[in-house]
Amino acid sequence: MRRTNKKSRTIFIFTFLALPVIHLLVFSYIPILSNVYLSFTKYSGVGIPEFIGLRNYERLLTDPQYISMFKNCLWYMIVAIPQLIFAFFLAVFINGKFRGLNFFKGVLIIPYLLNGVIISTIFIIFFNNSGTFNSLLKLIGLEGQQWLQNLRLVNPAIASISIWRYYGFNFVMFLGGLQTIPSELFEAAAMDGCKKLQEIRYISIPSITHILFINILLSISGSIQVFEIPYIMMNGSNGTVTPVIQIQQSAFSDNRVGFAAALSIMVFVIVVIVVSIQRVFDKRGELT
Amino acid sequence: MNKETKTYKVLRYVFLIAACIFVIIPLIPLVFMAFKTGAEYSSTSVLTPPKYWLNLYNFAYAIKVGKLGKALMNTAIILGISISIQIMFTTMVSYVLHRFEFTGKKLIFSLFMMTMFIPIVTTQTIVFQIIYRMGLVNKMLSVILLYSGVGIVGIYVILNLLATIPKELDESALMDGASYYRIFRSIIFPLLKPGCTTLLIINGIGLYNDFYIPNLYLRKDVQTFTVALYKFFGNTATPFEIVAAAILLGIIPIGIVFLFLQKHIFYGLAGAVKS
Repeated sequence: MRRTNKKSRTIFIFTFLALPVIHLLVFSYIPILSNVYLSFTKYSGVGIPEFIGLRNYERLLTDPQYISMFKNCLWYMIVAIPQLIFAFFLAVFINGKFRGLNFFKGVLIIPYLLNGVIISTIFIIFFNNSGTFNSLLKLIGLEGQQWLQNLRLVNPAIASISIWRYYGFNFVMFLGGLQTIPSELFEAAAMDGCKKLQEIRYISIPSITHILFINILLSISGSIQVFEIPYIMMNGSNGTVTPVIQIQQSAFSDNRVGFAAALSIMVFVIVVIVVSIQRVFDKRGELT
Repeated sequence: MNKETKTYKVLRYVFLIAACIFVIIPLIPLVFMAFKTGAEYSSTSVLTPPKYWLNLYNFAYAIKVGKLGKALMNTAIILGISISIQIMFTTMVSYVLHRFEFTGKKLIFSLFMMTMFIPIVTTQTIVFQIIYRMGLVNKMLSVILLYSGVGIVGIYVILNLLATIPKELDESALMDGASYYRIFRSIIFPLLKPGCTTLLIINGIGLYNDFYIPNLYLRKDVQTFTVALYKFFGNTATPFEIVAAAILLGIIPIGIVFLFLQKHIFYGLAGAVKS
């Protein structure tokens, strides 16, 4: 009786785990391991990969064409700063009960729900030469710029779209964090005659530094994986190529699968470092 | 007790209204454009409202030429199937990991957890070859298959919920002679519904908006809504006011879902964040 029970238990565990685990191995682990191997080879996608050692990595780290695409990622990290500040204050102001709360929440979450194609179209209209931004600048007497053609402006311009697109995500995370602060804390502060600004400074900010830190790391790991906006809006032209656009280009248009693998591994390593920092910090946060 | 001074209240409204303007300004010209005629589009500023708000020609044209109806249908099929599988697998894996002790449990849990280190964009060079060899490129099944994996966020959401369901419930059912499958199906799964709603919302929004995977695997006739919009947008022969109309149509499904699920969306997103 116990034996059959044990057996049926094992069969049950196996049937419930088999397919999800196979999926995981076939579509995540085998590909990333194959990529490690292929990154040391010259491989066109057919035939036999030819071992070339570190040559792919050498090219990536020395060729100015490829270094510039990592520089492009820096713009996406820089715009994360105003993005996080904006999202933070939004969360602080919205946390509470007041007239119009749901209206504001509803409007402010819109950008986060839109997809890359929709956002790209909106911002093509926004940054075009006779587009929204230039028209607004003209209204206040400033001169418009060729935002998408000027090679010095195009990257900061399209990177800044991330602010509009992703602040909603940070906002929801901050709001979630603020709502876990016990209301007694605020009440006690109010008893002691604490001003609202002091309350933000001494209660709200310290309570969510943990979430702030996670958001910073997510922004960094996100900026190394930027793809949609520069790809859809610019197709990588005017020097807007990012590592992920380059992976796609090398692997699927140029048949340089080995090179694409090396670049994939570089992105992978950067993400591993960033996520590890977050995990270590997470554990420490749990202990205190 | 009234700690919110008048200045603070005013400050809050000023800030929030400014934020709303920041959100809405880029959207306004899109709405204007969608109702303009071709001649009107080229002769007026993007900030000028259309002459006739009832000019629906652009929308009709976009639906007909962009085959948007068919694409929306494809998206619905792909999302319906893959999210069902995803929810089923996520609850199954979480249940086994939460309720049973067995060799290799830790390993399997870490395998799922470590996927957060592997961005999807770093594996597609090889995944594409796998899908290609399976003969699935340009078939909906490719995207469904890739979307059907179990994510670690989902596992955490369900694990949190399982922790609130007493183990005695399983044990007494087992005493009564119910099989493990039956316990899962008839007792546990119905209790996991709130978690499934959360998964449905976060994955639904994520997959509806996904561009990378369908753009890579569905390159011909079968297209998802996002890719159909992209093809439309990328075709320079398409007049831009028509693109604007198509994009506005693309926002509508999101808007409808949002109106009905606003509370759930905030709860779902925040719930996923907290776990």
